[in-house]
Order: sequence, then C-alpha cells, then structure tokens
Amino acid sequence: MNLPLLAARNVLRNKVRTGLTVLGVAVALLAFMTLRTVLSAWTQAEEFSQKDRMAVRSKISWVVLLPKKYVQEVKDMAGVQAVTWANWFGGRDPKHKQEFFANLAVDPESALQVYDEFIVSAEQKQAWVGDRQGAIVGDVLARKMGWKLGSKVTLTGGVYPFDMEFNISAIYTATRRGADRNQFMFHWAYLNEKLSSERQNRVGWLIVRTKPGVVSAEMSKRIDDHFKSSGMPTLSQSELELNRSFLAAFTAILTAINVVSIVILAIMALILGNTIAMGVRERTGEYGVLRAIGFLPRHVLAFIVGESLVVGIMGGGLALLLGYPLINMGMGRWLEENMGGLFPVFGITTATATAAMVLAVVLAAIAAAWPAWRASQLKVVDALRRVG
Amino acid sequence: MSDAQAEGKAADEAAKNPPPYRTQPESPAIVSLVGVGKTFFRGKEPVKVLDGLDLDVPEGSFEALMGPSGSGKSTLLNLIAGLDRPTRGKITVAGTDLTNASDRTLAKWRSQNIGFIFQAYNLMPVLTALQNVELPLLLTSLGGAERKKRAQTALRVVGLEDRMHHYPRQLSGGQEQRVAIARAIVNDPKIIVADEPTGDLDRQSADDILTLLEKLNKELKKTIFMVTHDPAASERASVQRRLDKGRLK
Ligand SMILES: Nc1ncnc2c1ncn2[C@@H]1O[C@H](COP(=O)(O)OP(=O)(O)OP(=O)(O)O)[C@@H](O)[C@H]1O
Ligand SMILES: [Mg+2]
Repeated sequence: MNLPLLAARNVLRNKVRTGLTVLGVAVALLAFMTLRTVLSAWTQAEEFSQKDRMAVRSKISWVVLLPKKYVQEVKDMAGVQAVTWANWFGGRDPKHKQEFFANLAVDPESALQVYDEFIVSAEQKQAWVGDRQGAIVGDVLARKMGWKLGSKVTLTGGVYPFDMEFNISAIYTATRRGADRNQFMFHWAYLNEKLSSERQNRVGWLIVRTKPGVVSAEMSKRIDDHFKSSGMPTLSQSELELNRSFLAAFTAILTAINVVSIVILAIMALILGNTIAMGVRERTGEYGVLRAIGFLPRHVLAFIVGESLVVGIMGGGLALLLGYPLINMGMGRWLEENMGGLFPVFGITTATATAAMVLAVVLAAIAAAWPAWRASQLKVVDALRRVG
Repeated sequence: MSDAQAEGKAADEAAKNPPPYRTQPESPAIVSLVGVGKTFFRGKEPVKVLDGLDLDVPEGSFEALMGPSGSGKSTLLNLIAGLDRPTRGKITVAGTDLTNASDRTLAKWRSQNIGFIFQAYNLMPVLTALQNVELPLLLTSLGGAERKKRAQTALRVVGLEDRMHHYPRQLSGGQEQRVAIARAIVNDPKIIVADEPTGDLDRQSADDILTLLEKLNKELKKTIFMVTHDPAASERASVQRRLDKGRLK
C-alpha cells in the first residue's frame, strides 16, 4: 500500500463521474488533435509540392490565355527539361451535377512526362494517346463517378460554350501522397479544333520541369524576363510558391483553428477541475483524518493533484486510442484521397500525440491546483468537523 | 488555581483511581493543561468555549469526559491531541509543550504520540481493513513488509485478523470501529483519544468497543482520553470528568 495507490483507488470511487470526466477530457483532446492535425497536414502540403516544377501564366490573371508559341520558346531555354500546357475546361458531368473536379485539356505525351508521379499502364497510356476523344482520370475520381475503362462521358462546358464527349481510356494512380487523384485530362488538340480560328492555339498555362540543379527562383525570373517586352508578359511560380501563396490566403482560418484549440483545452481543464473540486468537497473529512494521523498539507496536495493526473492520463490515453483509428484511418484517408492537394498526409504526428498527452497531464495538474491547495490549507479541526 | 494546587488535585485523583497495573501511584501526568482557554470567532464575534481550564491526566489512566452538547468536549480533546492550539494557557502532552508548536511539529508529534478514534469510523472506503490500518505507517521509514506485519498485529489485537481484506462497506459498524482502533494503535502511541467512539453503535457493539479500550488500557498501558455522551461508557473508564460552561468539574 502506498499513497499513489490510494489516489488511484479514489479515482475509481465514483465510476460514473470519473468515466464521464475521462470521456469529456478524451473528446476535448480528440478535437484538439484533429485541429492540430489539420494544421500540420496543411503546413506539410508544402513539403509535398514538386520543387522542380513551375507554372507559367499570364501576368494579368489565370484566366488570360497565353499564345501557344510560348511553349516552344520556353522549351528552347537553358535549364528546361520538359514543358507541357493545359487549358481549364471547367466542365461538369450532367449526371453528377454536384461533383466538382478539375478537367483539363492537356498534351498527352508531354503531360505524362512532366507529371511523372501519375502511374498508368503502358496499354492504357497507348489507348489514351491514340484516341482523340480519350480521357485519363484519377482512380479516386473514377470510383466516385462510377467510371470504368470504356465508359462514355459527356461534360457540359463551363468556360467554353459547348459540350464534349469522351471515352475513358485510362485510369491513373499516383506514386506519392499529395498527388491529385481527382483529375480528368483529355487531348488539348480535341478542344482546340472545336474553337473558332481566332480563339485557337492559346493555352491556359505552361507547366515547366527544370533540369536537376536549376534554382527555381532564377528560372522563373529568366522566363518572365524573356516575355517581359512581348505583348503578353508572364508570371512564373514554382509549385512550392503556389502552395505557399494559397496557404497565405488561409492564415485567418489557421489563426481561428489555433484559438479554437486553446478554447477546447480551457473547457477540458474546467471539466476536470469541476470533478476534482466535487470529489474534494465530499472527502474533506477524510483529508481531515489523514491530517490528524500526521499527514502534511503537501501530502493532501499531492494526493489530490495525483488523482487529477490519473484522470488526465486516462483521458489522454483514451483520446490517443480513439484518435488513431478515427483521424488517421477514417478522416485522414478520406481527406488524402479527396483533398490530396491540401492534405497530402493527414494523420496524427508524433508531435501532436505528444502535445496532447503532455497537455492532458499539465492541464490536469493546473485544474487540480486550486481545489488541492484549498484542501491542503484547511485547518485539521475544521476538516474533521465535516465528517459524516 | 495555582500550578501547585493543580498538581495536588491530579495526584489526589490518581490515588483515588489507581489503575491496577500501575506500581507507582504518583506517576507523572502525561497530559497537563494549565489555565487553558479557547476562543473561536464566529465572524467577528468571539465565542469563548474553554476558559481557564486546568487538567492533569496521569500516564496510564482511562478517562471519560462528559458534558452537554456544545460544552467544548471535542475542543478540549483536539487541544490535548495537538490538532489545535489554545488561545491562552499552556499544554504539555507526553513531554512536549504543544502551546506554540508549529503545524509541522504538531503533525509529526501526533503521528508518534497519538492514536485517534472518531465517532464516524473514518476509514478510507477504497482501502481494505489492512490497508487502512497501515496508513499511519506510511509516514514512517518502515518497509512494506514490516508495515504489513505491524498492521496485521494491530488487527489481531482488535480481533479482526479474519477480516483483513474486507473493505469498510463489508464490515459492521462495530467491526469498522475496531479497524479504526487498530489504526489508532498501529504506531504504538502513548495516548489514545476517542471522540464518542460508541456514539453510532448499538449497545452490544458499544460494549465490545469499551471492553477493547479497557484491554488497550490495561494490557498495552495506553493512556485513554474518551469523550462520551453515554453514562454506561463513562462508567467503564477509571476517571470520570464533566465539562460544563467551559470549566471542568
Ligand atoms: N472551528 C470552530 N469555529 C467556530 N466555532 C467552533 C469551532 N469549533 C467549535 N466551535 C464551537 O465551540 C463550541 C464547542 O464545540 P465542541 O465541538 O467542542 O462541543 P462538544 O462539547 O464536542 O459538543 P458535542 O457533544 O455536540 O460534540 C460550540 O458552540 C461550537 O459551535
Ligand atoms: Mg463533540
């Protein structure tokens, strides 16, 4: 027998109350871990962007198109390994009006060169390149829309005022996390031939793959300088920069998430503090007996804080136990597949798990501090009068 | 009353009620109160509970204290047990001057010199009888095995060796009080203070407890100071005292 045992036994005394408190602590920590995971996944997105790839668009806006001849001009520049281009079609499948997905007109051969994280079998690639109406789609998108190889799909135009018909001729997966498996890509030539002659041969943006060792900031400057004095200046940004500027737009949300997680922790401390205070009030007489026997105020203090720590640790343990399957397997898998660009790896990091556990312990100590201090400072005779 | 008179009175009483085992009737007082007063404050209003009280309890006696409710019996008991300090006067117990001792000193002193028995048995409900009895020993440097052995011995003294692993809720009131007594003697204190130890018990259980206290007094030579409302309990003690309006009679 020892004092920690007594503290632990006291925790289990009112099983319903302790159970509910542990659950409350666990739910609060779970919410905290979820928010933290959103933050860490978001910041990690940066690391998953391809550092040797950059987008070149019109300096004015994404929606202003560039002349197709820019492709060849960039390809001829030093440090460039490959160039491809894309136009945003912005179409929707009338059978799935609610589903938003990227559908792009691309150049098949060069696109697969530049986006080498997309995996597609040789036959399917052959089929797609060989079929003017062929489309390649991500496996996640295909599953969601119920498309199979050979499916016929019509997209109603959004940016362009006409519908287009496609055959699903290839389905790709990806080698790495963070790759978007929700895209729909088809032949740029097929789109181009549908346009009136004055709107033909213009591209939405270029995607440039640099040679190893090329500094992307220097490369983008060289490209932009090259087109500076032409009628249509460009803006080049690496994928990393693009992601960064995208995240910057969300700083307010990130701050809000931070604030909310602090509020959640405060609520957790209050729940815990309340339970501890209730227990202390009921057991004042027992503390009086302990003090009479010769235990010191610091024993009573340690005893009550110890009780709170046990509850905090149980809550933290439960949160981790529930958190891994819930956040990593459930929410995480869904987000990685559907919002892979934003959340390439959505899972509890060691840092988050550690933070949750440490906070459970620290907050448990803080929550118990006041009731424990009060109880320890009570005069023995006053505590004893509260017996029975 | 002067100190000399007080001592004289104590000696007289000791002579009147010589505990049977004692060879020297004039053994020194183990509890000595001189001119002790205690005033509580209810808000700003002072409540004088004890007033100029003198008391000598010779070592080895078994004393009962009676008196009306609110007369200050528990207050007096708490002062003797070093749970509280007097407003006036001087208290010496077991050779230690408690009058101005610090809380810390008192706590250590209590753990070595006093065994407590309360009306509501005051056991930890989450601990077994054995663990409850072991509790005071946690403050000593004794190892786990030795603590357990001593707790078992104490439980044997109170006749509960077959209930060691029972929890308080599995025991009768009388048995719970016996566990509390085992807890009070496990440290081998010189003095046992009991505040209405039979107050919550039926006649039979109360008699058993009183028989046990007698045994502790006679065989283990414990000095016992017991507050009670029960005349039958008071009869079992070797000295009867009455507290009324803050004064001892
Ligand atoms: N801590 C305290 N603060 C204020 N008043 C107190 C305190 N302790 C005791 N008193 C008062 O002192 C008086 C004596 O109390 P005490 O508990 O000593 O009486 P008692 O003789 O033991 O009574 P009972 O037989 O009912 O147990 C009472 O009026 C009580 O209200
Ligand atoms: Mg009383």
